[in-house]
Amino acid sequence: MELQLNEYQLRKSKSERLGLMSLPLLVLGAVLAFSGTEGQQIGFYVGLFLLAFGIILMIVSLVRFNTVISDFKKTFLKDYFSKIIKDGDYRPKKGLDPLNVYECGFLKRADRFKSWDYLSGEIDGISFLSSDVHLQKRQVYTDSKGRRQTKYVTFFKGRLFRFDFNKNIDHDVQVLERYSPSDGKRYRKVKLESIDFNKKFKTYSTDTQTAFYVLTPHFMEALMKIENNHPGNLGFSFKGDHMFFAIYNNKSTFPIRPFVKIDEKLIDTFKADVELVYELVDDLKLNKNIFKEDK
Amino acid sequence: MPTEITVLLIIIGAIALLVAFWFIATMNMLRRKEVKVGEAESGIDVALTKRFDTLTKMLDTVKGYTKHEASTFENVVKWRRGMPEDMTLEQKQEFMQKMDQLQADINVVVEQYPELKADKVFTNLQRSIMDVEEHLQAARRMYNANVSRLNGKIVTFPISIVAAKIGMDKKAFFEAEVQKRADVKMEF
Repeated sequence: MELQLNEYQLRKSKSERLGLMSLPLLVLGAVLAFSGTEGQQIGFYVGLFLLAFGIILMIVSLVRFNTVISDFKKTFLKDYFSKIIKDGDYRPKKGLDPLNVYECGFLKRADRFKSWDYLSGEIDGISFLSSDVHLQKRQVYTDSKGRRQTKYVTFFKGRLFRFDFNKNIDHDVQVLERYSPSDGKRYRKVKLESIDFNKKFKTYSTDTQTAFYVLTPHFMEALMKIENNHPGNLGFSFKGDHMFFAIYNNKSTFPIRPFVKIDEKLIDTFKADVELVYELVDDLKLNKNIFKEDK
Repeated sequence: MPTEITVLLIIIGAIALLVAFWFIATMNMLRRKEVKVGEAESGIDVALTKRFDTLTKMLDTVKGYTKHEASTFENVVKWRRGMPEDMTLEQKQEFMQKMDQLQADINVVVEQYPELKADKVFTNLQRSIMDVEEHLQAARRMYNANVSRLNGKIVTFPISIVAAKIGMDKKAFFEAEVQKRADVKMEF
């Protein structure tokens, strides 16, 4: 593994060096081209040449950088996830289908929808799928000069998971930190017996008893623990055979930034993100199929 | 020009009206909470019936394997008539306890028959019973949560005055474990 990582790191640092080399050329070119006095034609043309060369170098560096990252994700990470997760399927360019995302019931329909870093698989017999999701709403406003302007405002950026759920439920339940249900169903706000839980989460359900059925004392405790361990805005929903979990933390899950080494430490941070899936399955005991009948 | 007495009468009338409105609103709030407790109790009934039905099915399956031990379950045969109707909360708790006992008896017998453990119908019934118990627990917790909220209101002044006026008392909780009382004999 180390050898492979070194190879990617080498390619990545080469592209970064190229980018760094382009910077002085860009600066020098800009200075020569735009600060020369009248009559200094040579300076202007040399500056223009350096500027053009610098831009070309910068573009080449960016293309190379993106190619390395894409290769790394498509080959190394894909292979890595398929090894650590049963039936692990990682696709960096693919994301969850909008229908899967809105199925959770608390993420509103977006005017701009982006999804990437799809990861699915099976952990302890529980199938899951997940991806990073970025949702934006269009806002039209009038500026100080009376002109109509449009801007896109992010209302969700984080990761969404969908798990198999081990209980049979006919009604929907949502446990939300700051969202509210948005699927148009008639939800009732449910107050559970735990005051701490009610303070942290708002619980909605189309049937009160189903909320109590899903949210056992152990389950509530586990949700609180997950909330404590993961900063961000959390939302859980339970529908039919599925449990949805969304974490709005303004982060990409598997980012590879410039000048950050591709090494085992980086892989460990990715692994830690995957461990969240294990944590959810274990803490929420999703793997304990004691309720559903064998088919 | 209204005299001072008229002004006083208007103020007293307004206060009386406010008190009357508050009394009615509080009474309605208590009634609504009482209805919720009633709904939650019917949830317990549904869950108890479900559990009873599933246990009966389990019993039938177990009996198929353990014909010579039929006497173990003799005392529950009389339950065949179904779950008794119009039970008080206390009786429901007793009934639940009897079902706990029946289930424990079934488990003891099952331990002696490994082939029963492997029976698909039986394992599915075991899962069903766990699910039913989860439903029963949910119904019990929901009932107790509603009772707790209602009782909390009933004992709080000045709502306690309204509760006393309309004859509303604190409701009993549905306990998970009922203390065994020798003087209570249940016949189903």
